[in-house]
Amino acid sequence: MSEMLRAPAEVKYADELDYLESVDTGPKPFSWRLSPRMVRLFVLGSERADGLEREIPQKWFGDRSFVERSIVTLASDRGLLLIGDPGTGKSWLAELLSAAICRNSTLVVQGTAGTTEDHIKYSWNVSMVIAKGQSRESMIPSPIMTAMEQGVVGRFEELTRSTSDVQDALISILSEKYVSIPELNDDNIVFAQPGFSIIATANSRDRGVNDLSSALKRRFNFVRIPVVTNKRSEAEIVRFRTEELLRRHRIELDVPPTLLDILLQSFADLRAAAASATSDDEKLESALSTAEQIGVLEDAILHSQFFGDRTLRVETLAGSLMGSLARRNPEDLAILNKYLHGVVEPRAKQNGEGWAGFLDGGRQAIASLS
Amino acid sequence: MTTATAPDDPHRTTGDGSGTAGAGVAAGPFGALREQLTDAAATFAGSADALAGILAGIVDDVDRALGERLEIFPVCHHSPASALAMVRRLRHKQPKVIYLELCEDLQPLLGELRNCRLPVAVQAFASELDGFPAEWGPLSVVAPVTEASAEYQAIAYALETPGVELVLVDRSTDHVFQWSPRDDAGPAGATGPTDDAGPTDGTGPAAVTASTGGAGEQAALHGDAVGVEIGDLRPRFAELEAYLLHHGKVRHWSEWWDQYVERPLAGADHDTYRQVMVLIGSLFRRLRPAGSDRTERDEDRERYMWTRMREHLAASGADPADCLYVCGAFHAASRVAQFGLDSPAPDFAITPRTGTRWRYGLIPSSHSAIEAQFGLAPGSVSIAAATWTKAVSGSGLTPFRLDGQRGGKGRGRRKVAAVAAPTGPMADRLSGFLAAPPPLDGLDEAELRGWCVDIVRLARRNGYLASTADAIAVFETSILLAGLRNRARPTPYDFADAAVTCIEKDVVPGRRDVRRLCEILLGGDRIGQVGYDALPPLARDVLDRLQPLGLDLEKRTIGRALLDLHATPALTGCSDLLWMLRHLLPADAVRPIMGERRLGHRSIQESWDLALGRHQRALIELGYEGVTVEQVLEQRLRRAVRGTDATAAGALAAVEDAIRLLNSPRLVDELGARAVELLATERTVDDAPEVLRRIRRLLAHHRATAPALPAWCEAFVTTGYAHYCTLLPTAFVEEETGVRQVGAMLGFLFSMESLALSLGCDRSQLELAVAQSHPESPAKVALLWAARHQLGLLPLAELRERCAELLANPLVVPAFPRYLSGFVHALEPVPGLAPFVVETMSTAFARLPDPVLLPWLPTLITTLREHGPELVPLLVREAARTFPGTLPELDAWVPPWLAPAPTPTPSAVRVGPVGQVHTLLAAHPAAVEAVAALLGCDGGWSTPQATPAGPSESALVAAHPDTVEAVAALLGGG
Ligand SMILES: Nc1ncnc2c1ncn2[C@@H]1O[C@H](COP(=O)(O)OP(=O)(O)O)[C@@H](O)[C@H]1O
Ligand SMILES: [Mg+2]
Repeated sequence: MSEMLRAPAEVKYADELDYLESVDTGPKPFSWRLSPRMVRLFVLGSERADGLEREIPQKWFGDRSFVERSIVTLASDRGLLLIGDPGTGKSWLAELLSAAICRNSTLVVQGTAGTTEDHIKYSWNVSMVIAKGQSRESMIPSPIMTAMEQGVVGRFEELTRSTSDVQDALISILSEKYVSIPELNDDNIVFAQPGFSIIATANSRDRGVNDLSSALKRRFNFVRIPVVTNKRSEAEIVRFRTEELLRRHRIELDVPPTLLDILLQSFADLRAAAASATSDDEKLESALSTAEQIGVLEDAILHSQFFGDRTLRVETLAGSLMGSLARRNPEDLAILNKYLHGVVEPRAKQNGEGWAGFLDGGRQAIASLS
Repeated sequence: MTTATAPDDPHRTTGDGSGTAGAGVAAGPFGALREQLTDAAATFAGSADALAGILAGIVDDVDRALGERLEIFPVCHHSPASALAMVRRLRHKQPKVIYLELCEDLQPLLGELRNCRLPVAVQAFASELDGFPAEWGPLSVVAPVTEASAEYQAIAYALETPGVELVLVDRSTDHVFQWSPRDDAGPAGATGPTDDAGPTDGTGPAAVTASTGGAGEQAALHGDAVGVEIGDLRPRFAELEAYLLHHGKVRHWSEWWDQYVERPLAGADHDTYRQVMVLIGSLFRRLRPAGSDRTERDEDRERYMWTRMREHLAASGADPADCLYVCGAFHAASRVAQFGLDSPAPDFAITPRTGTRWRYGLIPSSHSAIEAQFGLAPGSVSIAAATWTKAVSGSGLTPFRLDGQRGGKGRGRRKVAAVAAPTGPMADRLSGFLAAPPPLDGLDEAELRGWCVDIVRLARRNGYLASTADAIAVFETSILLAGLRNRARPTPYDFADAAVTCIEKDVVPGRRDVRRLCEILLGGDRIGQVGYDALPPLARDVLDRLQPLGLDLEKRTIGRALLDLHATPALTGCSDLLWMLRHLLPADAVRPIMGERRLGHRSIQESWDLALGRHQRALIELGYEGVTVEQVLEQRLRRAVRGTDATAAGALAAVEDAIRLLNSPRLVDELGARAVELLATERTVDDAPEVLRRIRRLLAHHRATAPALPAWCEAFVTTGYAHYCTLLPTAFVEEETGVRQVGAMLGFLFSMESLALSLGCDRSQLELAVAQSHPESPAKVALLWAARHQLGLLPLAELRERCAELLANPLVVPAFPRYLSGFVHALEPVPGLAPFVVETMSTAFARLPDPVLLPWLPTLITTLREHGPELVPLLVREAARTFPGTLPELDAWVPPWLAPAPTPTPSAVRVGPVGQVHTLLAAHPAAVEAVAALLGCDGGWSTPQATPAGPSESALVAAHPDTVEAVAALLGGG
């Protein structure tokens, strides 16, 4: 299992989850594997006051009340909808929660314009139907139906991207808590077992793509996840994800703290610039989310590892940053160029440390891009 | 990740020696609090030694405070537990003297509290400073008083019980500012909006979730006053607070306090109460950053208070055993040498107050204003108030209340026998802290269910699609959340979170979001009101004088007043007062809906929206400036023209206001004279357009209303004439001076010319000034040409020729729009040029080749829009007159400037009034010539003998009678 390209949370943190389950004495709702308090502890990390022998690191960063509200929602009979800008860690939180609650975060439906009712109910294995006729064996249950049968958490990513037909089907699943299979004569109803719940995510940037009906909204509790603007938490997220990445690629590489500062600062600068821009042309296309930051660092690390001399340099970081943010030529390039000239250059002159290298690297990257 | 530097034993705490606080203390009502505090101490102490020092020190502090001969009663603001403990103590001890931590000079005001509905704030205000940097002014200090506070209990007890003396012992408001650092912007900048609240830098614990839904108005009730509060108890640096919040698993300070202190303390006895409060105060004190200004100020205040108390005891001979010293828990743990009645330390040298004249009053406050000022989470003061009400009814205690206090429920003041509180032995200092039974905290199930139903109803009324199912969900979620957060029963904070989770969706349908609705539900913002008797004389006077309107002006709603001054002339006084208030108060306080008062114009009917109740603070603060509105207005107008940044235009505005609002010729003359002085010393002409606009208006007004111009007007015209003549050549060349400004100067010079000349000015001054002007920028060149044309030095034909040359020269063509813009500005001083400007533009369009013209057009439009928006209409009107209105006409149309000079046919012209006018015109030919030139009529002057009224003149006069009449008035004829 450890050879997976990217292990799901329940695999990656199997040790921790086993340990927590072994010390958990709190009451557990339904078929939950952990009590709500332990779920919170798994997601947000342990304190000394929790009195555990083993330190549990924090995995999701943000206001604890978001996590608490999410957990109690799952213990009630409503679905949980995490809504927020892209890259705010909604999917990650959903994964962590389902891993902690039922050790299965992989029952996922991806919402797209092409998602059909089959994707959330069931479909048929055509060759088996031809051979044996329609029966429960020849039926392929969707991840959601599987979650119902097992009484675990099913996930629905990007709910607003799916069409209203799909949303309607979801309403009946969430309210009636069963799915009927009219094609079969008997054994034709799948009931949701206790513990079944749904965590959906929705991107607030493309709200209106397929606006949720009020009937569906009523069946979900909304938890809005804001963009992290606090530099310290953001630094923690980036550091956390990077360490994980290094481990995953088995890379021995140091990410110097000054470099991390430069990354965070440059994003903060660019966000401030985007906030004061008056038209879309003056704004980078990128949302400048934390996830994007991680992406930049990841790219820089991989680049240094495989094409460089295995030390992470600020020039490389600058190159990765320009490369990932310059999506439109000439608009984005112009903005980045202006940023280098107007902000980075004075800073490099003032306190050379790092920023001079950033300037060089950035200039080179822009020259090669334009 | 923040990892605490683990001490060997986190639980080895304050109990060392006494043996009562060994391991296993996590039990009991205060277990959680102890754990919180010791963890924090361990983290911030730095080393195990330092930690041991801190913990021993805390025990010392508690001993010292509790052992003091003068009983110290530590309090915390907005803490119902504190207020409840106070009630119990007062009933039991019945002290004779109460020393209170509050600015001593506020004492006389406290009696006025009974005339108010709480919360109100006691205010000290000074606008004329003496001994403080002038730029600090006005100085303002507010101390809000809420009903659910320990200090209100102490005040009410002292004022209502015969023979009890209340002594305020904290430094005076004057000292608040004396002790402010003097470096930068002002006291507010230096101390933040509050003098006493917790970390106020923006980076502080950011856990306070701002709630949308505009409570802005109520939150701004205190204006930008410096806030002081009794009983501030909050970590003194952001990291400590952040640490406590993080480890306490709560979102903001109020919630931390509620969970870890308030609820466990609710049932505590006197000793336990005091121990816990001093302990917290001591810890925060010991962990505060060393050597900050604030620390020094705190300690000076403590020295001050102890000195005052000793002085009072010595003077009054009171027995310390009968006294109670009420102060913030922070000050109870003080280490200053003056602490304690038996301290041998010399008294603190109290500096005299400055010469600043302080004025005192009460202003309305509100829960949200207090929250905003002291950095508390929105809704927390309201929740404290609700908790207080509930705790009072549950405890069987009767709180103290000032006689006649308005608002709240009129509880009877029945005397309750003193509750006998057990006085436990001192040595056993922390056992109560640990051994009391777990209190019943949180909400009753029935109460919670009620809230769930109410929030759904409230949400529906605010546009949410909420249903009974939501009420059930909120109930269930509240309980789940409380369980997750380790609380036996849900707190209001859990309830609010649950409601947000279950009801809030992606958009807020109305003005208020669910969190705000919860705040409203849990007591809502309470807004205080200052009663009539506690108002300053000016405010009472205003209310009295507006009585005839028949509105209840103390209400917080908007009242509509209708004044028919024709039918009820007696209301004129109200109208006058309203216009003055309009000038002095914020725009929303008194707003005219119909009617206006301009120079020389009063409306017969007026209607007003009055919200004086809602703007009580503004009215009260006006009362600090004077006894009547007239007096304040006069002072303000005087100040406006005397200040260092006063300008001539501003002074003219003040003159106008004085005429409009005060009808005091003496003041008008004074202000006008000042305007002349200001104009003469002005070095820039930036304000020239404004000056021109205003003086024109004032001249017209005076001419219409008085036989002769006031002396200052004449002086202004002659001074202005000389002044602008002198500055003209520089203004023409200086780059910083805009075309608009030069245009306005010329406007002044030309339109005031005849008056100025009649008052003894010399025309050659102007001619000389124009001759000395050598502008370079195209716009100003055009302006100069126009001026010379006006002076008769440049005939129209020549002007036309020059423009033609410009258009013919490809090198100059790109600059042509700027010439045009100059001409447009010339319309101000030389309105007669309008036809010519239209002509020039048309010619430009006709003559320029497309490749030049097309890119040129946008520039033209933007230039026009930028430089002369007010003159464009004039131009458009002229163009409308010039160009044909219909298509067929266009075919036959010949531009007037290409047509042969028209010979007017007398028969076609209606002959205007002749007799008198003619005599007049004949007597003053210069004026008619000027007017004719101005209006673009160059028909020539026909001899009066031949034809009594030349056809072109009479045509002119007939077409523009107003002008001639004005001229006639000007010359005193007619
Ligand atoms: N608050 C957070 N805590 C931890 N990781 C985060 C957080 N926000 C973003 N990330 C990181 O960013 C990555 C992308 O986040 P994701 O969950 O896919 O965002 P979303 O679903 O909101 O678009 C995650 O894998 C996670 O590593
Ligand atoms: Mg996602």
